[in-house]
Amino acid sequence: MTQPMIVLNSVNKRFGDHEVLNGLSLEVQTGQTFAFLGRNGAGKTTTIRMLLGLLKPDGGSIRVLGLDPAKHEIEVRKRVGYLAEDQQMFGWMKVEEIVRFMAPFYPSWDHELANRYARQFELPLPTKIKHLSKGQAVRLGLLLALAHRPELVVLDDPALGLDPIMRKEFNRDLITHLQGEGRTVFYSSHLLYEVEPVADTIAIIDRGMLVKQAPTEALRDQVKRIVLPRAAYHEFGSALNALDVRTLGDEVVVAVNNAPAALRALATSGCPHRVVELNLDEIFEAYVAGQPSHGGAEPEAAGVGTAE
Amino acid sequence: MFVRIEKGSAVSITRQMADQIRALCLAGSLKPGDQLPSVRQLARELAVNQNTVLRVYKRLEAEGWLDVRHGDGAYVTPRPPIWQLDGQRRQFAEELQQLVRRGLMLGIGADELRELLDQTLEASLPATSQEQSQ
Repeated sequence: MTQPMIVLNSVNKRFGDHEVLNGLSLEVQTGQTFAFLGRNGAGKTTTIRMLLGLLKPDGGSIRVLGLDPAKHEIEVRKRVGYLAEDQQMFGWMKVEEIVRFMAPFYPSWDHELANRYARQFELPLPTKIKHLSKGQAVRLGLLLALAHRPELVVLDDPALGLDPIMRKEFNRDLITHLQGEGRTVFYSSHLLYEVEPVADTIAIIDRGMLVKQAPTEALRDQVKRIVLPRAAYHEFGSALNALDVRTLGDEVVVAVNNAPAALRALATSGCPHRVVELNLDEIFEAYVAGQPSHGGAEPEAAGVGTAE
Repeated sequence: MFVRIEKGSAVSITRQMADQIRALCLAGSLKPGDQLPSVRQLARELAVNQNTVLRVYKRLEAEGWLDVRHGDGAYVTPRPPIWQLDGQRRQFAEELQQLVRRGLMLGIGADELRELLDQTLEASLPATSQEQSQ
């Protein structure tokens, strides 16, 4: 078995009083498309900046391509393609100029590949960046992230600000140019339904902690809602491993993290119940439900513009 | 082959795809021996992970609907497993039961329900009834 592409082990990070990451651990296997989901302010961008060595963790360890990005920042950035959230590029440069400008930073830059992407993405080379549409800007970012043939590609909320048609186009590009070539993709988003079609694995973080990681396919089988009479809930509720509990009249609605086990437990005890399948928004909500939005100035949001 | 994916649905993408391909086989839109789009093509068209498409093809192969030939593509088998309809029929019966219960809860009586069913049948079977009358 090859080593994982990314390993985070109990990573902590605080900005002043604000604990942004609180013991975050996860592993991304080589060749996977890994969706990294959380609400705004959950710690996504902070994590990504640490993967690239732009921020140092306060505690815990990080390995990217087997390297510590805080110590080997240059080596990591050479081998990782990065598409920043809301990339602020040099608006006055033309598309062809930024491509020439970026190339020398990467020893493995492939000019032919850059030209091919420019054609496939239908990027107008003589146009100034500030005159590109949002969709074209994201594609230019993707070209710049891919032309050095990185082993790992990190995409920070790439679909943000794209309309549904451009999102689908973007997912197609991802499937053809990244998955089709066996690259590892770390894809952050706050929309579960947006990543489900493309992700092999889904991780959900909330308040700087991993609350769920599962193969995309398994997520739906594991997370369901169970409705049972209130009396029965008091008797069997503790066995259900509840994520979220709501009382509606005489019934209790329980969102469970391990539906097969919960249903077995209910079946053996003969407890009457109904099962409700959840859509993706509801699954996401079950994990981050009842968590008040963090509000106020968030270090993550505040730090975004300085990521490059 | 027309398959559509509903994003954010309570039904997983693999199940949506598998259900639709089975339905196309049953309806005769996909005939025995027909070639399906390659994994790569269909993944791109639907903007869905290639592994997901592959998983669907493998599942349908295991069920006997498709024949997946390595490096050549997927074909509809000469004799699709129509017996698999049992499960779908059972599901239909359950759905019908639920529908009838809902009707009763709305105060629609048994006679009225029967009448509604007759009307629906009549509206849904124009082709066959015309053939019979000719």
